[in-house]
Amino acid sequence: MGSARMIASTAVSPDAERRRLAAVRRYAVLDTLPDGTFDRVTSLASRIFDTPIATVSIVDERRVWFKAARGLPQGLRQTTREPGLCATAILHEGAYVVNDTLADPHAAVHPLVTGEPEARFYAAASITTSDGQCLGTVNVLDVRPRQVTDEQLAALEDLAALVMDELEQRLAAVRTLTTERRLRTDAERLARTLQRTLLPPALPKVPGLQAAAAYHTASVYEVGGDFYDLFPLNDGRWGFFLGDVCGKGADAAAVTSLVRYTLRAAAVYDPDPLAVLVNLDTVMQQETQDHNARYCTAVFGLLQPDGDDFVLTLADGGHPPPLAVRRDGAIEPIHAPGGQLIGILPKPNFVQSTARLHPGDTLLLYTDGLTEARTSTGSMLGEEGLTAHLAAHLPAARPGAHGILAAVHELIDGLGGGVSDDTALLALSVADRPIHPSAEEAR
Amino acid sequence: MTEHELTTTLRLHPAGPHVLTVTGELDHHTAPRLRTALEEIELEAGSALVIDLSAVTYCDSTGITVLVTAYHRTQAEGASLALAGLTPDLTRVFTVVGLDQIFSFHPTAEDAVRALKS
Repeated sequence: MGSARMIASTAVSPDAERRRLAAVRRYAVLDTLPDGTFDRVTSLASRIFDTPIATVSIVDERRVWFKAARGLPQGLRQTTREPGLCATAILHEGAYVVNDTLADPHAAVHPLVTGEPEARFYAAASITTSDGQCLGTVNVLDVRPRQVTDEQLAALEDLAALVMDELEQRLAAVRTLTTERRLRTDAERLARTLQRTLLPPALPKVPGLQAAAAYHTASVYEVGGDFYDLFPLNDGRWGFFLGDVCGKGADAAAVTSLVRYTLRAAAVYDPDPLAVLVNLDTVMQQETQDHNARYCTAVFGLLQPDGDDFVLTLADGGHPPPLAVRRDGAIEPIHAPGGQLIGILPKPNFVQSTARLHPGDTLLLYTDGLTEARTSTGSMLGEEGLTAHLAAHLPAARPGAHGILAAVHELIDGLGGGVSDDTALLALSVADRPIHPSAEEAR
Repeated sequence: MTEHELTTTLRLHPAGPHVLTVTGELDHHTAPRLRTALEEIELEAGSALVIDLSAVTYCDSTGITVLVTAYHRTQAEGASLALAGLTPDLTRVFTVVGLDQIFSFHPTAEDAVRALKS
């Protein structure tokens, strides 16, 4: 290389520059913190050329920003995009050399030549993307004019290629992260959508009854199979159910839909609670193959208005017994022992029980995500733990469906990570007779 | 709960039955391991299997599915099956879902072996 290659800053089309700037933005390297990888590149470059100064520069719209700089005045992180040095070098493929800056009309007036560090020699290799966009350069500068060898320039180009490889890897890592984040958001949205499909959008208004329901998810990634519903029958009675399909995920969700619609249809066909569970069992046995066994547990019940009371008939298929929270605070399971899993056993046993709900009484149905949750001692909460919590935390009298769900909600929050499965809750309170009018509003 | 640890050990009891000892937590992450272990046991008419659950600290619905599948298989083969060593928590869970009506529960594997022989 004889004297400086005299190159006027070739006119670049605005389109080409826009594409180049887009590439600079894509690699998101501008104004990032210094790091060792690029510092090692400048260290190597200055050793190869035996120059006091080396930089890794990225050319922004109006400035040249140093990703790494060695030998420049402390704190100098960028310079203006004047032609002559870097801004000119990016217009050239491969290496660009100015042996003596004072002999080059553009370089001679560059701030790094007229001011600190008063550079007299400049060599650069462009950092170029695989699609030909030049992001910047790896540079060496000296305070006296210099000649360079082809080997040195080849090494400088290798260093620039190394910088490009590093930027590519970082971009790929960022993209992977972005993709994962997007996938996670999508999965969460899908889980929420599925849950909405599986649960009734709103409970109907039942005269003389206050109904409340809640669904606590243990994980947004694994859709649970809990379900419930409350609906009118055409003879003045009300049907309700709550249950849990074993397993999680899309397969369980499909079975959960089947169970919900089968229960609704079976109740229309013959609302007798035992008959409903037997029909559900038959449908599930037909639907699920042996290698893909799915079962559910469920409580199906009927409420028959009777004066101010409701007469409750319910059938249990392997589900934890619902609790009656009486008006005076007494808590008792509505229990006929011996009900079995639905859909997986030969000739399963289902059991029916009846009870009367008086004004102020509440029936609480729950899934085993609650009772199988682990307490701080590591043992399961159990029906006893649930009962004890309710006894201790319910307001003295007549908390109503919402008050009871609030107490359960508090319990679930307290158990925190001990709750490893979803929990569905349904509470049905019989409207209370006012004792005296002033007490009624007091809630 | 983050570890999803479950191990199974199979031995042939001198009195005849296969004894499968299960250790750890039986949930939807680990249940497939138990399913595989159970499928690998060679059963025929008249053979007996004891599943020792004394070291199982947790069992969810997928764990129950695997046990019920084992029950179906022993029924189909004409083999017998007994469960041993259920913790109070497990006993409670199994009773709520009515499994006490299809499985026999025994305090220890030895008790179960004796019961199957008699």
